[in-house]
Amino acid sequence: MTATDLSTPVPAVVAPGKHGTSARRVRSRGGRLLGYAALVLAAAGLLLPFFWMVVASLKTNNDVFTIPITWLPDPVVWRNYVDIWQRSDMTTWLGNTLLLSVIVTFLQVFTGSFAAYGFARVRFPGRNALFLAYVGTIAVPWQSYMIPQFILMSKLHLSNTLWSIVAIQAFGAVGVFLMKQFYETIPEELSEAARVDGLSEYGIYRRIILPLSRPALASLALLMFTTTWNDYLGPLIYLRSPELRTIQLGLNTFISQYNAEYALIMTGSVLSVLPVAVIFLLGQRYFIEGVASTGLKG
Amino acid sequence: MKRAIPAVISAATALTLVLTGCGGGDEPVDPNAPVTITLAGWSLASTPEFKTLADGFKATHPNVTVELKEYAPGNDYDTQMITDLAAGTAPDVYVMKNLKNFYTYQSGGQLLDVSDAASGLNSPALASYQVDGKAYAVPYRQDSWVLFYNKDLFAKAKVAPPDGSWTWDDYTDAAKRLQTGLKAAGSNATGAYQHTFQSTVQGFALAQTPNADLLSGDFGYLKPYYERSLDLQAAGAQPTFGTAKTNKLTYQAQFGKQQSAMLLMGTWYVATLLNQRQSGDADTFQWGIAPAPQFDKSTTGASATPVTFGDPTGLGINPKINKSKAAAAKDFLKYAAGPEAGKALAGIGITPAQVTDAVTASLFGLDGVPQDDLSKFAFAKHTVKPENPVSKHTAGLQNLLNETHSAILSDSKGVDAELSKAQSRAKNEVLNQ
Amino acid sequence: MATLPRTRPRNRRLVSRNTVAGWSFILPNFLGFVGLTLLPVVVLFYVAFTNWNVFGVAEWTGTANFRRMWDDASFWTALRNTVYYAVFHIPLTLAAALGLALLLNRKLRGVRFFRTIAFFPYITSIVAIAVVWNQLFSPEYGPINALLGAVGVDNPPGWTASATWSMPAVIIVGTWRYMGYYMLLFLAGLQTIPAQLYEAAETDGASPWQRFVHVTLPGLRHTTFFVTVLLTIESFKVFDLILVMTGGGPGQSTLVLSQYIFQKGFEENQFGYASAVSIVLFAICFGITVIQFMVNKRRNS
Repeated sequence: MTATDLSTPVPAVVAPGKHGTSARRVRSRGGRLLGYAALVLAAAGLLLPFFWMVVASLKTNNDVFTIPITWLPDPVVWRNYVDIWQRSDMTTWLGNTLLLSVIVTFLQVFTGSFAAYGFARVRFPGRNALFLAYVGTIAVPWQSYMIPQFILMSKLHLSNTLWSIVAIQAFGAVGVFLMKQFYETIPEELSEAARVDGLSEYGIYRRIILPLSRPALASLALLMFTTTWNDYLGPLIYLRSPELRTIQLGLNTFISQYNAEYALIMTGSVLSVLPVAVIFLLGQRYFIEGVASTGLKG
Repeated sequence: MKRAIPAVISAATALTLVLTGCGGGDEPVDPNAPVTITLAGWSLASTPEFKTLADGFKATHPNVTVELKEYAPGNDYDTQMITDLAAGTAPDVYVMKNLKNFYTYQSGGQLLDVSDAASGLNSPALASYQVDGKAYAVPYRQDSWVLFYNKDLFAKAKVAPPDGSWTWDDYTDAAKRLQTGLKAAGSNATGAYQHTFQSTVQGFALAQTPNADLLSGDFGYLKPYYERSLDLQAAGAQPTFGTAKTNKLTYQAQFGKQQSAMLLMGTWYVATLLNQRQSGDADTFQWGIAPAPQFDKSTTGASATPVTFGDPTGLGINPKINKSKAAAAKDFLKYAAGPEAGKALAGIGITPAQVTDAVTASLFGLDGVPQDDLSKFAFAKHTVKPENPVSKHTAGLQNLLNETHSAILSDSKGVDAELSKAQSRAKNEVLNQ
Repeated sequence: MATLPRTRPRNRRLVSRNTVAGWSFILPNFLGFVGLTLLPVVVLFYVAFTNWNVFGVAEWTGTANFRRMWDDASFWTALRNTVYYAVFHIPLTLAAALGLALLLNRKLRGVRFFRTIAFFPYITSIVAIAVVWNQLFSPEYGPINALLGAVGVDNPPGWTASATWSMPAVIIVGTWRYMGYYMLLFLAGLQTIPAQLYEAAETDGASPWQRFVHVTLPGLRHTTFFVTVLLTIESFKVFDLILVMTGGGPGQSTLVLSQYIFQKGFEENQFGYASAVSIVLFAICFGITVIQFMVNKRRNS
């Protein structure tokens, strides 16, 4: 039994070694049931707010917040799912958000993994200080330097364009840090062997390191995608024109000064979560097809 | 050592990146040439006032187009506006939602002197925008806080509705009697709903208490107002602050869906309630507005003028406006704060800065607005004091008092303890700056 | 001795070749990083020593902002609350994320579905999260206190409506929200542990716990380090979750540094002072990060 390839679940339930195989199977089946029960219960706890969102999206505005909380809509207002497409630019918002998320994710994964290789595998003077500067900027709260950054971007005529969001998100330090940590788990001997075979550093990066780091690339891509998709403050500061709105900014237009269309906001939120969930579901194959299955003998 | 931050950044930018030239010379002025000025607004789809102003102005000034720039609603409006002003990308004319923000913009040099536009105008709120004898903005809205009440629920509970003579003790008393009466009649509605805003307590206390002064740092005037709120909470006559917060209750639903018989709120709610009744979000019921309860009997009754509060909403001009457009922008301000625009605004349920008979007639001509005399009196006659006195310390003090508000209403340390803490914080953290 | 003169130039050549190679990798990201992040951050360090009000002129005031901070009770409250949040949030999230990753790193039927669900708190709208958790915590009408009452708790906590319990409530929700995020990183890390190590350990008769301690944990070393550093920084910078959950209240019971910075900057227009507070927040995070780096280095060697 290994942690990466399990046909039997939940190690805590499976007693180690001593039992006979049939006893083990019985225990194992009970354990499996117990494990599933625990998972289902936990899943319910994790999904509760999403469930509430769906329920709220089927209510009228003034029924969304009530005392006590109501878990079932009455009456069920399906209209919200029609209204949101007719009354707003949902398509534009989703399109912008998708475009931004894809570009940012691509750039961050590409430049981040590239830079990380420089930090992880090439020794040069000043490397550690530079890396600390990278990590250090993660520790500066964005809201304290966003105005200087905004002034700068305005001077470059980038504010109020989608490029501004790409620019502020794509070169972050988190991706560099993540990939560097991951590269360090790959045995140095692999690169050494490749060097002896005459591969350049770029060759090593492309032929050896990248294929081996698919799980990390996949998680970085998913995290970046989700973060960009759900970002509110960035678009709020940089985007003004209605045709540039992202989904989070767009949902904000259902709030007016003295009122808010909570039901429609929740309808939009449900619709905006679904694509991310689908991408997450699909992107998962890369976690499992990691080092273990690429035939590497560490 | 003085240096402008944008200059530091530009210098740095020039070193590392390509810098494109910006700005251009001002063109010569021709009064009849077509001009486009930009105006900041928010939630344009659901907030018709900006379009009303822009269209109304176009009718008398055909050569001027007012182009609307949409900003985010709520506090995010100011976040975006501050960023845009700092970077020089803000529109020509922008809105000051309250006087706290007016101070920020005025003291930061982000408002053009508009004394010439203000001189022909006549409304009490003008004074709020005067600094050293010069006007830096003009008011186009002046909402004031009144008491909304549900006539049907009063009848159901067999409690006499407000008659314009109420002090706060009368209000507290009525809320409790409503509670008992409604329960007896089998209704779950509460006597009153006090929204979570700090204004619902502090705005009235500051406006009505003789000699109350926010900037003195002495907050003793708040005490009786908080004690009454706590009393109503304890009696179950209104949802507690904790419940309103944790259940994110909205006043629109509490009053509009008849969950509460009384609601203290600004006059802007008239338009919201009308819209919600039309869309079906709110129930249809008999309602009315009455003057806010008073500090004592001296300001109650039909012959007196009740005291309430509310900040004006103002328009100001960005000093970076192209010189050729400044005159048109000032004309727009003059129009927006004047009687013509006032009538148009009242026609969409908004309380303009200057309430004339024509304005009252226009607002009460709207379908669904109560027609009783008390409602008209409450709308038209009152002394409105600003919620935020214009000063360097106002924002800091209001933030501090907002924290005090939630502390008093949700915890048991007591009004005195929290107020004295607020006073020492005001002295040591705000007023000494 | 005789070999030295020959190796030195080669070393030097190697160093310069490595430097060129290293920089060529870093450069694409570095250009964007310097122009768009580092430069504004440097400006921020300058602003912290001025009285900048965001509109134009900034007057140099030396250390005045930092001296003011020393006497500012609200700053200390915010700092204390931030540390309170971080001290609980970091270990709880770390444990929950690792636990989830181990639980879901297997070929169970439906495991993809469960992984997606574990990530849901992170993708669900933060407003919806605040609403639902606040209602669950509602002292009078919430199911949590109803449950506590049913099992015999006489005086259930007031949660987000009470100054004492609001921070624990926020910590619980914070852990719940972010564990999926860090689980994802652990999942990626688990893929790097060669299966042979587990097989060898099992052949040696190691118990699941021993395998966890001697194979899994060492194998996750690099990932754990990254997660710890990132989690520490993100905990100290916590902002939007608390803003939507409690707005810093009741009173100042959940006021954290990031929110204080926003308040002073955007609401009270004291960007110089807000920047100074940011520098302190940065210094704390950075200090802890450097310590973590050093500890990590010692452990690795």
